[in-house]
Amino acid sequence: MKEYFILQYKMANRRLWEAKINPVIGYGLGAMGFVLLSDYLFEQSTFAKYLVVLVALSLLFNLTHTNRNEFLQCTFGTKKFRQIRVIENIIVSTPFVGLLLYHNAFIEASLLFIASFLIATISIKINRSFTIPTPFYKNPFEFTVGFRKTFYIFPIAYALTFIAIRVNNMNLGIFAMLLVFLVAMSFYAKPENEFYVWIHADNPSDFLFKKLKIASIYTLPLALPIVCSLIVYYPADTDLIILFLFAGLFFLWAVILAKYAAYPIEMNIPEAILLVICLYFPPLLLLLIPYLFKKSINKLNRYLR
Amino acid sequence: MIEIEDLCKAYGKHTVLENINLKFSSGKVYGIVGENGAGKTTLFRCIAGLEDYDGKITSEIAPLKNHLGLLLTEPFFFKRITGKEYIRLLCNARGKTNIDIESKNIFDLPLNQYAATYSTGMKKKLALTAILLQENDYFILDEPFNGVDIQSNMMLIEIINKLKALNKIVLISSHIFSTLSDTCDEIHLLQKGKQIRAVKNDEFASLEEDMKMMTIGFKIENIGLK
Repeated sequence: MKEYFILQYKMANRRLWEAKINPVIGYGLGAMGFVLLSDYLFEQSTFAKYLVVLVALSLLFNLTHTNRNEFLQCTFGTKKFRQIRVIENIIVSTPFVGLLLYHNAFIEASLLFIASFLIATISIKINRSFTIPTPFYKNPFEFTVGFRKTFYIFPIAYALTFIAIRVNNMNLGIFAMLLVFLVAMSFYAKPENEFYVWIHADNPSDFLFKKLKIASIYTLPLALPIVCSLIVYYPADTDLIILFLFAGLFFLWAVILAKYAAYPIEMNIPEAILLVICLYFPPLLLLLIPYLFKKSINKLNRYLR
Repeated sequence: MIEIEDLCKAYGKHTVLENINLKFSSGKVYGIVGENGAGKTTLFRCIAGLEDYDGKITSEIAPLKNHLGLLLTEPFFFKRITGKEYIRLLCNARGKTNIDIESKNIFDLPLNQYAATYSTGMKKKLALTAILLQENDYFILDEPFNGVDIQSNMMLIEIINKLKALNKIVLISSHIFSTLSDTCDEIHLLQKGKQIRAVKNDEFASLEEDMKMMTIGFKIENIGLK
């Protein structure tokens, strides 16, 4: 069992080395990013604690896939398998539980802690014949796959908008809109297998424009119900709502370009740092987007020459 | 036509391909054979432009990669993409839209099911269907017969013959010699990254014998089976 966790640690280090990041620096920056981002979230919204629970639960559910669990059970036997699953879940949930405790969300922290034990006992088997329908079937890939993975977040975002209007909290409504963009950004977080870039009969520039176009035309209809509702209920703040809409769109473009600027490896620390800086000063996106575009073209030239 | 001149490929100090010179003509099927690690897949990746290399690869219709259907040994599929969406993705990438995918499902695949849940053979058939619908001029089929059932193998042989009749260039690698002798006009033998022999179809039988001798030799006797 000890070897399993050592191996996991080694694998995590290898991934960091592959991204040309010294693991010590990587873990340090990861922890710093976690603290800064969570501080920012808790400053911005009283609903941050729910988002923290949601993110933690989605990470815990990621570890419940049947194939993975069957492999662990066959290799280590039932007793050790259970121990591994509980330890894994505690490792994943501890930072989130700590964060909730720090922000006095004791009930949420306790529930998350209990959930991490309960989730360790389940295995989610994928129903092979059931396919989640998607409105994004015409241009398959990021949105088709991403929507099927995160479809439940969109009703949550719309429910948050409804609550925002009911309790007269426009900030929460803006947060719900940005949540839609955040989910769309997650579709572009990981680099795809090189075959899926190579197949395109486009030059790098056309390829990138197509990616940005598809991301925009698929994200905007998802955000539109929130935008329209907010404009109807807060007409005096239309400028602000539109501004946030464009900020969301520009961030989405920046994330897509950051992915290809590092391609074929995962997004590098410099790109991630630049994105975080833009979070604090969004006008910088106007400089970052052309920079990442140029860098992406250099990386894609290898596959789309 | 595809022409390969003085192709060399190395990963650091390890040379994988050394001075490969090949010429492929339209309307012909070429087999590339060799032991595991002989350099077949690397050669295909160089032709596809997925690897940097020294030397020259040219084609009549350029750029080659935009007219090439590439069937990888183990095609990669995203977790939540259906067979139909996979085909649409590959066709869209080559600007081929409005294809009636359902009617062209010659292998009767469950196209509305996630491709990642398919069996090995079904995955290969799906990847093959997609590259056929891309309407390519060149095809590279890396181990197309592996994991595929007998009926589909027969269909695959017919497809290759049809591509040949349509004046396409088809490059195949296979570990099953009979599938190559049934389809190829010429077979090239690679050994440790070097091109050691090229034979036309009337010499296939002698090539098979030579390969048997080269690969098996007296190794079976050495194991001392009892």
